[in-house]
Order: sequence, then C-alpha cells, then structure tokens
Amino acid sequence: MSAQTFSMPLGPVHVALEEPVYFHLTVDGEIIRGVELTSGHVHRGMEAMATQRNLIKNTTLTERVCSLCSNSHSFTYCMAVENVLGIEIPVRARYLRVLAEEIKRVASHLFNTAIQAHVIGFKSLFMHVMEVREMMQDVKETVYGNRMNLASNCIGGVKCDVSPELLTYIRRQVEKMRPAVAEIRDIYASNSMVLGRTRGVGLLPHDDAERLGVVGPVARGSGIARDARKDSPYAAYMDMDFNVPVYDGCCIHSRTMVRLDEVMESFGIIEQCCERIPDGPVTAPMRQIHVAEACARSEAPRGEVFYYIRTNGTDMPERLKWRVPSYMNWEALGVMMRDCAVADVALITNSIDPCVSCTER
Amino acid sequence: MDEQNILHGDAELMNSLSALCAAPGATLGDAGKGVPQGVAAEHHSMDAFGNAYHWYRLVEPGALEPAARRLKEKGARLCMISPYNVRQMGELRPEICYHFELDGVVYNLTATPDARRPAVPSITPIFANADWHEREMMELFNIVVERHPNPRRLFLDEKLDAGILNQAVPLSVMMNGACTTDLWERILAGKGDKA
Repeated sequence: MSAQTFSMPLGPVHVALEEPVYFHLTVDGEIIRGVELTSGHVHRGMEAMATQRNLIKNTTLTERVCSLCSNSHSFTYCMAVENVLGIEIPVRARYLRVLAEEIKRVASHLFNTAIQAHVIGFKSLFMHVMEVREMMQDVKETVYGNRMNLASNCIGGVKCDVSPELLTYIRRQVEKMRPAVAEIRDIYASNSMVLGRTRGVGLLPHDDAERLGVVGPVARGSGIARDARKDSPYAAYMDMDFNVPVYDGCCIHSRTMVRLDEVMESFGIIEQCCERIPDGPVTAPMRQIHVAEACARSEAPRGEVFYYIRTNGTDMPERLKWRVPSYMNWEALGVMMRDCAVADVALITNSIDPCVSCTER
Repeated sequence: MDEQNILHGDAELMNSLSALCAAPGATLGDAGKGVPQGVAAEHHSMDAFGNAYHWYRLVEPGALEPAARRLKEKGARLCMISPYNVRQMGELRPEICYHFELDGVVYNLTATPDARRPAVPSITPIFANADWHEREMMELFNIVVERHPNPRRLFLDEKLDAGILNQAVPLSVMMNGACTTDLWERILAGKGDKA
C-alpha cells in the first residue's frame, strides 16, 4: 500500500446498507482502489435445517430464505421436489404460479428502484415509487392475504385457487399501475439528477459479467441476454409472450432501466395469465419418495435461483442446497467499485439489488 | 418421455464428459476413487417442461479439471456446487455435485473424493464464480480444495475450526436420542476423534 492510500472499513452495520455486510475499502483520497467483502453476520444454517424437516415443511422454510424473492424460493423448491418425485402439476397451477411470481417481481423491482431514489436523496421520487408499488402490495394482500410471503406454492401445485373476481381485480390494478410506472420510467430515463448519479457509474463490462457468471438484471444491464424464463421455460412461461430487456451501458442506469422495463413486461405476463388461465384442478397428488437427485432453476427478480435436492427414501431430504442470485453478484461489486468515489458505494451496492440474508442462508 | 428430448444437449460435450466417467458398474478403488457400487456412472433426465438434465459421475476428482475446461471451451456457465455427505457402512463420505448450464441444458458432474482426506482440485482458475462455492465448502464441509487462488474464510471467523457445522448436534437429533442411534453415533465419533 502506498503512502497515499489508506483502508476504510464500511459496515457490517452502516446507515447506507440495508443489511449487515462488511466492506474493506482501500481508498486513494476519495477514490476506491480495492474492495474486500466479509459476510457471515446473519448465517442461519437453513440448509442444515432443511434436512431436519419433511418435504412439505420445507416449502414454508424455503419461502423464508429471502423476503423480496420469497415466492421464487418456494416455487423453485417445489419444482425440484416435483422433478425428483416425477410429479407433473396441473396446467391451471402452472398459470397461478407464474401469476404470483410476476406480482412479486413487480413489487421487488419497484422497491429496488425506490431505494435508489432514496440513496440519491430524491425523496419525492422515492415516496412516489413506493406509493405506486403499494398498489401491488394491495394485490398481494387481497389475493393471497399477505404482503410479503404469499404461501401460494405447494408440492404438486398451488395451495389456493384465484377466483374470476380476483383475476378481474388484478387486471384493474395492472391497468391503473401501467401508466404510473411508464411515468416513473420516463423520470429515471431523463431526470438530470438521476442520470448524473447513475449513468456511467458502477461499470461492469460485458467480459467481466461473463467471467463472474452474474445473473438477473446485473447480467442484462451488461448486455447478457440471460433469463431462465426464456432459456429453459418452466411453469407456463412457454405460453407467455414477453421480451427480455437487455441494455449494454454496463452501469447503474442500465440495471435500473432493465428493472423498469421488466416491470412493464411483467404487467403483460400478469394480463396474459388472467386472460388465458384454463379451468381445472390446482394440485397433483404426492408420489412415493425414492432414492434420487434432481435440480431446478427459475428466474427470480434478482436473477437465477438454483435448487438441488437428494432424497433417500424418507420424507426428509438427505440434502437440500440452493444458490441465490445475490451469491453470484456480490463479487461483481469489486469490479463496479474500482476507481469510483466513496460517495457512490451505497448506490453501486443497491444496483445489484443485494440480499444478505439469502446469500448467507 | 420423448427420448429425443431427453438427449437434448451438446452431443460433442456429452461424449467428452462420458469419457471422464467411470465405466458402468465400476467399484470404489483402493484410494476411494471411482463410482460407488450400485450408482450409475451417467444418466439423463427431463423435467415436466422438457428441460434436460445430464448427470455424470467422474472417475476420480482429478477428472474435474479436464471436464471443467471442456465445459468452459463450450461456453457453459457454473451455476452451483453442492457438497453433501452420504452415509455408507455407518460412515459419512463426502460427494460434490457441480452444476453447469449451457443453452438451457444443465450438466451435473459428481466428484467422489477419498473419504479419509476429501480433496478436489479448484476450478476457480477456470470458472471465476466457483470462488465463493469452493471457499464455502472448505469451511462448512472441511473439504480440501487444492490450488484455490484465494482460500480465505467466506462466512465463519478464522478462529473457528474447519467443518465446525459437521460437529454440531441438531436439536431434533438430541430430542430423538432415546429412539434413534444418531445421537450415540455422533458422540462415539467425537470420542474417536479425541483418541
């Protein structure tokens, strides 16, 4: 280390960080030259807990891995169990799973976008985005009875059917939200204060994004068209007409625009689900548990979620392992923060939409 | 299921990975290498949506490097690494499953390291995103990852012993101490370590 550089600890608990994580920044004046990250402050041993519970109880456990991606975890876990047991879920359940997933995606992306405005100091924009997001929170509460953990998925399908009246209500809410989100998108795309803090900042070049195997909007903001919903369609995504927004600016702004464009695409998917959902049962029966292994993956709001399960003939899994999207994206911060100002650390961290609790499980 | 769909994947890559697997029916060698008895060296599966999964059991942990290099050349991405313990003849034996994705198809490679000193070569020099996975399995499963470029602790404090979570006795095992042998096996194993 030269005489001009010094080390600056940030965290594990800091006003600019939502969750406990420790950054060790090497700075040269106000410019960051190196980043080291220490995690482990909220390790809950959930993978070990999963091997002490039966397959059904683990649906509830996995939904608590993450709050904003909660539905993606129980969804992917159920798919892994269905793959290992050879269960084929009914078509109506496939649509209902996609419906819940996209409702969660809209709320998750708007939350991250709102926090960005908060970090910038654009308080009125923060309040406005949260107010629009509240309409989707109302949908969750009205349809599923809860604002965060929907408890919608179960092994073999979904727990509760959604009535035609509720489907009509969802469509009305989407109609109200669509112009509001379009307006928010315009603000993020053109406001000089937002652009001044986000465009060209926190760069993750395409090659680095490929090398580090990043996922979700972080990958798609660096020009990589990677989306499990398109690459290996599951549930009812093969029947849905939607685009995968990709930007090649490689900066915070590109990641934000990916998220806001995806919200608009999610509205389209929600509407298609409400229109096309067929009648029929919403669950398939359980099957005998053998010695087997399987995996499943899905596209959560933050990127690909991957589950691996091994069964040993009992109702408790021998091993349940999952990899959350943030786990792949943390190391990209080292690239994004290099040669950036200390003042941009919180904004860059927010741009990967990090989740410490799910990284550490 | 449609056979054509099951075999969906890169044929050239699949042939290279097959060549690194043990012959079907091979048994554990002297050094703990090879495929355990009764386990298929390779199999292929498909989910209800037609997505293909290919499973390969490597002849020895050393085969991991050429397999990973082949996957990298083809443009595959590492998704996850899953270490786990298998109970065999009353003893825990670690196995590690590496999950890769290429064009929507998942390729799984399982390495079976020596139970006495479980070690695998690092694939971080080939796939940079293996870094965290390998560090995690070093500290939580006490698996030696050879030639890892940055073998620092990821989650646990440096002062804690490696594989510390393997030693913990879960509450459910304690509660079932009277009707299962799990608790006593753990206690006896702990005594053996000290001796």
